[in-house]
Amino acid sequence: MADERRRLHVVRDGAASSPHDRSRALDSLLTRAGRGDEQAFADLYDAAAGAVYGVALRVLRSPALAEEVAQDVLVEVWQHAARFDPATGSARAWIVTMAHRRAIDRVRSEQAHADRLRRHGHLFEASAPEPDDIVDVSYRAWRAERVRDGLSRLSDKQREALELAFTKGYTHTELARSLGVPLGTAKARVRDGLMKLRDLWEESP
Amino acid sequence: MSHLEHQAHTLLAAYVLDAVDRDERAAVDAHLAECADCRADAAALRETVADLAEADAEAPPRAMRDAVLGRVAQTPQLPPTVSQAPSSAPARRRPRRTAWLVAAAAVAVTGIGAAWGALGGDSASRTLERDVIAVASAPDAHTMELALGDSHLVMSDRMDEVAVMGHAAPMPAHGMEYQLWFVLQDGSYMAGPTFVPDDDGDVMTLADLHDETIMGFTVTEEPMGGSEAPTGDMVAEVSL
Ligand SMILES: [Zn+2]
Repeated sequence: MADERRRLHVVRDGAASSPHDRSRALDSLLTRAGRGDEQAFADLYDAAAGAVYGVALRVLRSPALAEEVAQDVLVEVWQHAARFDPATGSARAWIVTMAHRRAIDRVRSEQAHADRLRRHGHLFEASAPEPDDIVDVSYRAWRAERVRDGLSRLSDKQREALELAFTKGYTHTELARSLGVPLGTAKARVRDGLMKLRDLWEESP
Repeated sequence: MSHLEHQAHTLLAAYVLDAVDRDERAAVDAHLAECADCRADAAALRETVADLAEADAEAPPRAMRDAVLGRVAQTPQLPPTVSQAPSSAPARRRPRRTAWLVAAAAVAVTGIGAAWGALGGDSASRTLERDVIAVASAPDAHTMELALGDSHLVMSDRMDEVAVMGHAAPMPAHGMEYQLWFVLQDGSYMAGPTFVPDDDGDVMTLADLHDETIMGFTVTEEPMGGSEAPTGDMVAEVSL
């Protein structure tokens, strides 16, 4: 217990502890939260809320929306904690991918709402930034050295496809349309890009 | 490799990035349930997506911590089961659970009705579960203890719905079910859904409040299919 707290403290400060230790500590917190341990959940909050809020903000752009989605996701983490199975992946991935999915769902529902408005003539222009712009903005946000380094090893096209999918919630069909490439090409760019990152990061975790 | 399998394999990366539409997601989910290799691939790719996402970590607003922990203190947790294929020993467990969940959902929508066996399949029980969660996580959700094992009743005026969820609920007498009743302002009862615990004692049901002003809830034991007005013993009561 004392050990775990020490590790978590390090996680909170963002200082160097091995990614593996951080990840294991989170697994154990989520497992305990799943048994109704609210203190464990509070510690989990301290370790994971930044990533949850960050990904929501990245996707949604609006701090208010991001906070709303992040709160809902964290409560959902609590509700579903007992269903987390460490054998199927890390708590970190479980939580962060849930946050990403909810943020994307939100973007899509806001988008559908905007489309409906536009069809009925209440909204005249789409406020979506140009793709080039997106990539630039994205760059500023991809701060972590490792991620930046990984992304720099992708082809421009892979990176562009991956970022549009990750931050804008484009499906590969929308991606193909937006990039003006065949569906299979869009799919392949996303896949090759993500797999390359996986291979890079598995080599040097 | 079938066309669908091939499709699932090429979609895996898009799937973990949520860059798929609903049908594609369903196709990949179905494939993952059967293919251990793809499950392992998906898990590894999820870690990669988590790496990407974590690079964006950002300090959330300070007030968010209290808000989340406050909601958590009011929010019941879902039991650990569900979503696994039934093992061979308790073979009837999954279908039965599904049947009563579906019935509970259908009854909640239609008032009293014989909805047994009307629908089938996992997606309906997942839909109910999702709806129950939606009620439980509504900003105005109000949680009350329900003396039926370790159960809670969660009400959201904004969603105009009430959900019952819990575990360790005792079984009703043979041939009987539990039924939820709304106590109205004039003291009369409006019929809610019937439900029975599954083999693990888990209970879950959901009902529309129909914009009524509700003074309280009771749970009684009623014959299979439920009653128009309470006839059986009251097993639990919540007043607002
Ligand atoms: Zn496969």
